Amino acid sequence: MTFEEAQKELEAVVRKLETGQADLDEALTLWQQGDELYRFCLGRLDSAQGKIEDLASKVDSLRPAEPA
Amino acid sequence: MKVEAIEYGDRKVFSVGAFNRGVAEWLSRLPTLWVEGEVTELRRQERWATVFLTLKDPSDGACLSVSMPRAQFDALRLELADGERVHVYGRPELFAARGDFRFRALSIERFGLGDHLAALERLKQKLAHEGVFDRKRPLPRFPRRVGLVTGNDAAAKRDVLTAITTRFPPARIVVAETYVQGPRAAGAIVDAIGALCEIPDVDVIIVARGGGSFEDLLPFSDERLVRAVAGCQVPIVSAVGHEQDTPLSDLAADARASTPSVAARLVVPDADELRKRLEQTRQRLHHAPLLMLERKRAALESAHGRLRALSPRATLDRGYAIVRREGAIVRSGGDVGTGARVDVELAEGGFGATVEETR
Repeated sequence: MTFEEAQKELEAVVRKLETGQADLDEALTLWQQGDELYRFCLGRLDSAQGKIEDLASKVDSLRPAEPA
Repeated sequence: MKVEAIEYGDRKVFSVGAFNRGVAEWLSRLPTLWVEGEVTELRRQERWATVFLTLKDPSDGACLSVSMPRAQFDALRLELADGERVHVYGRPELFAARGDFRFRALSIERFGLGDHLAALERLKQKLAHEGVFDRKRPLPRFPRRVGLVTGNDAAAKRDVLTAITTRFPPARIVVAETYVQGPRAAGAIVDAIGALCEIPDVDVIIVARGGGSFEDLLPFSDERLVRAVAGCQVPIVSAVGHEQDTPLSDLAADARASTPSVAARLVVPDADELRKRLEQTRQRLHHAPLLMLERKRAALESAHGRLRALSPRATLDRGYAIVRREGAIVRSGGDVGTGARVDVELAEGGFGATVEETR
């Protein structure tokens, strides 16, 4: 799942809870799902390590391995 | 001079020499004229009497071999380099010995600024007419990887990288360093774009270059580069600094960024903003259950209130009584005859009674 998808789903869950569409029992699972989505998003923001690579190194990895 | 054919019965056959000489003779009737193109494969040797080069048409790649006596070439003192656009004045020739077709140059002139401007304008009209500048795709909000084509000078590259990583630290960028100036630049950038497109996850590409003179930016109006930018499967942001004249690649790109920070804003989200929005959503998430309980309770209260209002109890409280005969509620006088036994329920308790008369 991408950050964007998680964020969209999280907001949908919250809207559903806020508008009371969910009945009481469903609300609990929804709330947990929301919490997990939140942690996922936060994780992606905090932990995701930015990376700057050079094409030269990338291209080598793209080139098929030389036959031994 | 008439070229003699050899008779074989009714067939007239020419020797190679005769044929070549004939064609050469025909060609010699053509006028001397100017031909325009890009210098490629320039070969000049001290010990050679002739200089050779191939003149290439930048739009369709057509080629023409050109030769010029070295003394005349040197006298022009042009310091020509491959990739430069020139006008060549000369005449077509066939060298009978080996059947080589070549353009013998009498003079060569480098493209002046005016020529470049005129050529650029013509190219712009042609490409505009073809709709090359029309497609403007939306840029992905969360690119998995950002491709960056930039020169090997540190400034432009560093500015864009800093702008992106400051705005969105988790950004993953693949940098393709290449020529961004001079005759080799256009082809090199086209290759760089192509290579970046092949890397999985590259969802957007920035082509960045610090400002430059009109000549410096010419590669960014090279037809091959402009078509590569327009036709690239991945959206392209053109971050080429320039004063007045807009390079054509700017028009072909999906978006234009006048500065590195603008480029960053176009390709990656703002991490702080995302964090703030995420926090807001989290608060809404935590308030939601309370909110919901609140709402559920309120709904319950109102239902309960309505329930009580409708219950018989409230009616009795207001002084009414319920009369039943054998458990069934009596609603009209006709339901009971005189002497009938009835039960009367009041707000507090009740009593039995016998009907004396009915109305």
